[in-house]
Amino acid sequence: MNFDTRKYVIIVFILTVGIIYTIRLFFMQVIDDTWTLRATEVSERRKQIVPPRGAIFDRFGTKVVSNRTYYNLMFVEDDIKHLDTAAFEKLLGWEKGDVKKRFKEIVIEQRTYRDKNDGYKVKPNYQSDRPYAFIKEMTLDEIAKIAPNLYKFPGFYEEITSMRSYTYPNGANIFGYITEVNEKEIEEDSYYRKGDNIGRAGIEKFYEKELRGQKGIKYIVTSARNNELKPYMGGKYDTIAKQGPNFRLGIDIKLQEYGEKLMQGKRGCIVAIEPSTGEILALVSSPTYDPNLLIGNRNIKKNYPKLILDKDMPLFPRPLAAEYPPGSIFKLLQSLIALQEGVITPESGFPCNKGLVGCHPGHTANNLPDAIKFSCNPYFYAVVRRILQQGKSKNVFADAEIGMNKWYDYMMAFGLGQKFDSDVTGLRPGLIPNSAYYNKWYGYHRWAFSTIRSNSIGQGEIKLTPLQMANVACIIANRGWYYTPHFVKSIGGKGSLPQFRKKHKCKIDRKNYDPVVEGMRRAVNEPGGTASRAKINNEQKIIVCGKTGTAQNPHGEDHAVFISFAPMDQPKIAIAVFIENAGFGGTWSAPVASLMMEKYLTRKVKDKEKEKRILEATFKN
Amino acid sequence: MRQGEKLTSHLDWPLLIIYFLFLIMGMATVYSTSLNPEHPNLFDYSQKYGKQIVWLGVSLFLGLLVFLIDSSVYRKFAVPIYLFTLVLLVAVLFMPPINGARAWLQLGGFGIQPAEFAKTGTALLLARYISSLNIKQQNLNSVLVANAIMLVPMVLILLQPDAGTFVVFTSFLFVMYREGLTYDPLVLKIVNLIPGIKFKQTWVGTHFIPIMFAVVFLCIVTLLLSNNTLTFDFLPGVKIPGFFGVIISLLIFCLIAFFFLRFNSSKRDRRRITTVILLAFILSTSIASSVNYLFQNLAEHQKDRIELVLGISKKDEKNGKDYNRNRAMAAVGSGGLFGKGYTNASVATIESNHVPESETDFIFCPYAEEWGFVGTFILIVMYMIMFFRIIMIAERQRSRFNRVYAYSVVMILFYHLAVNIGMNIGFAPVIGIPLPFFSYGGSSMMSFSVLIFVLLKLDSQRSHVLQ
Ligand SMILES: [Zn+2]
Repeated sequence: MNFDTRKYVIIVFILTVGIIYTIRLFFMQVIDDTWTLRATEVSERRKQIVPPRGAIFDRFGTKVVSNRTYYNLMFVEDDIKHLDTAAFEKLLGWEKGDVKKRFKEIVIEQRTYRDKNDGYKVKPNYQSDRPYAFIKEMTLDEIAKIAPNLYKFPGFYEEITSMRSYTYPNGANIFGYITEVNEKEIEEDSYYRKGDNIGRAGIEKFYEKELRGQKGIKYIVTSARNNELKPYMGGKYDTIAKQGPNFRLGIDIKLQEYGEKLMQGKRGCIVAIEPSTGEILALVSSPTYDPNLLIGNRNIKKNYPKLILDKDMPLFPRPLAAEYPPGSIFKLLQSLIALQEGVITPESGFPCNKGLVGCHPGHTANNLPDAIKFSCNPYFYAVVRRILQQGKSKNVFADAEIGMNKWYDYMMAFGLGQKFDSDVTGLRPGLIPNSAYYNKWYGYHRWAFSTIRSNSIGQGEIKLTPLQMANVACIIANRGWYYTPHFVKSIGGKGSLPQFRKKHKCKIDRKNYDPVVEGMRRAVNEPGGTASRAKINNEQKIIVCGKTGTAQNPHGEDHAVFISFAPMDQPKIAIAVFIENAGFGGTWSAPVASLMMEKYLTRKVKDKEKEKRILEATFKN
Repeated sequence: MRQGEKLTSHLDWPLLIIYFLFLIMGMATVYSTSLNPEHPNLFDYSQKYGKQIVWLGVSLFLGLLVFLIDSSVYRKFAVPIYLFTLVLLVAVLFMPPINGARAWLQLGGFGIQPAEFAKTGTALLLARYISSLNIKQQNLNSVLVANAIMLVPMVLILLQPDAGTFVVFTSFLFVMYREGLTYDPLVLKIVNLIPGIKFKQTWVGTHFIPIMFAVVFLCIVTLLLSNNTLTFDFLPGVKIPGFFGVIISLLIFCLIAFFFLRFNSSKRDRRRITTVILLAFILSTSIASSVNYLFQNLAEHQKDRIELVLGISKKDEKNGKDYNRNRAMAAVGSGGLFGKGYTNASVATIESNHVPESETDFIFCPYAEEWGFVGTFILIVMYMIMFFRIIMIAERQRSRFNRVYAYSVVMILFYHLAVNIGMNIGFAPVIGIPLPFFSYGGSSMMSFSVLIFVLLKLDSQRSHVLQ
């Protein structure tokens, strides 16, 4: 028998296996992606590198918000061996049973999911081979106490993280704070992962997208035990994390600090703006809080409830969101409108007729500047009557509506009754009533000047936010225009944002400001003026122009209002001071404004008497 | 050695070169998968690659030694060599078990696996025995003796236990088949017991071995694929049930075989070839269909059991009993067309340890992951070239001893390749056997080298012997 043909059987057998294996390999490696996905799932970790947030500087380049390294105490349950709970609790300085409690808490924090592949059973997201934070955001001091002994507790290790740090304990309502993102935010913006931080208020919130920077992504090869081994494919697909750009604010942190000091023991606000740019120099909301109280989740957990429950509402940004009747400072705007409408001249005089409204004793306003100086209420009733009842219609009600519409247009041009398009969230619009408002309130053509006359002196329905009040001072300081008040001077050295370089004109001719400014000068600088306490007693002879106000408060003591700017020519600072329940504006708000302006313009305060008087005053009941 | 004849004359250079290529590729893969960045020196003997270099040196030295010995010695000393390997196989059973098997013989700090060397011993004795037979002398006696030569070491190996090497020994069945020793005498003995039947030969008995292996292979592949749906990266939405994949593959394969054989055969054979291939296609399709049908209609718990034995249980796939094969396939499959690049494997490294034994039994994983399909294709082609070269060498021998030995070598190597790569691609259950010339380990490296060098020696002196 010849068996030679059998060699072909063997050859075919070997060749068949070779071909089938080659085809199978082609399927597995080139065509079917199941295995590639499986490999990625088991052996790679996509690690996000969260960059530190952008640092924030004040107008003079002082770093006011920066980042500091903190430490998370991490653990992987599978790596923990024979944990001596008692010794560990002792090391952490915890009570007995706290460690066990914390482990349970972590599992609960991770929530649960329903497993589609296993009859929709509820299963925990927690996995014993993954790292979790046992203690978050420990300071260097805190970790330093633990770290030397950590080797005794395998499975625990430290991890670096970055948190905010504040050079000054001031400006909390400006900067805002950051906390961990919630589920909804993760859903809405794919940028975020669980454990990421997001700006919650102030600049941190408004500029979140810029400040957060760009995350980097590292693909890391992990071992079967989930240890990180090396960059995947030599880091070919990695991207580098980019820190957010540096922010330069218009804020003068020294002025801010001083303002917060002056407002101690008082409720209210100070808003200072540089009129020529619209940059906010200081924005004091009192009472406030130390921004360091809200660094990191541990602190927030501890301090946030206290702050939110505080009846003085330290978290409430009053300068932006509180709406107050402006009081007599409103007379300035009424004057400007009347002059522009030509219903009065600077020389117009009206008697101080106390029949309709009360007034301070012992004056007669024979011209507009004096009326502003004395803040004569009957005078401005007369002025506003002329604005609203211009005799354009025989019907007094129709006439009032025509006047009201004109008046409303001016108010809009002053930026009132609306939210500024500024770089801050939580702004309120204030309230400027128009004819539609009164038609609804009183009925169509059932109101005239006499119905709404208290608006003349800033009482009535009108409401302004302190930011708007400061902006009114800016408009007068600039004699006719303003830039939207804003915080950020420059992002990453690129200069101010385009929306803050748009000049808003206010429909009042330049010349009509002079008598108003003169009135504000007299109010501060001439004997008998309502705001003499606003004067800066300084050899540089800085001329301050200001106007007091007293906002009626049906619930208690009146609120003290004051707006001013200085110097009179080429003003560098415009300011509004609002102190709740402090009574007459000239007594308390004017000196605060004066001190602030002196501080800003001369960098120091010489009038220690005045300063002492303010520091000692409290208006909280 | 005849006078004036150089040692290297009549040396089969192609086989030697491909052997050296494998050594280099294997060494590179061992280095890559077990690379310790703190000790990157290839000759650092504290590392696996340093040790493997030593094993390579020892293996080449053994190879040289083998080459210095005259080829007639292997024939003369086949029985003592075989007995010596049997003694080692017995001795190893008294050794303390490592990882549950008594496979290692400790010799002064070094461990060797006698089972690896038993392959050489068995190959030599089988060659010696078959070459002593008259070519027409297939009878029950010779079949039983030949099988006994194979079965004695197999039983000893099963006692260790070492399932992988046990399976590899069945490769000698193909060698016997090639030499005319089949199970036909056994079949005849049984069949002829039936009164009135007096067969001289049965087709089934004669070709029992290749048929059995083909059927087993087809069944396993059908079972493995019938459970899966094929999806395509570049054709989203297209889904082909796994069973259709099997049928399509069979059809393609038969068509290729048909056209290949038609153009390489005489006119007389063509009709026969057409009939055989058509028959083969119908048979294989019906076997696949019935296996598939049976499997799909099994009760759930029966299905589970088969899946578990084959290691294709979906439930156990990711982290359960089939973990090893699953990770190995992930490593191989993630290589893509061009691979992740040398030393860039992420699944199959010792350090990451997703694929256990990635330097020994699963060394195909790091290679496939780093070099992709291009690399694995080249590797399989290289093995095919090696196998066909050895078959060529076998067929040019004048001595039956040499030919039997050469066929033993090719079948042993082929088995190792088929099973080793098979378990990396989900075509074979996970039984630990090394990939020839690649896997880390002294015993396998030495035994494969000795196998090859004995063959080279026999071949280089093929004109000396007539028997
Ligand atoms: Zn008066």
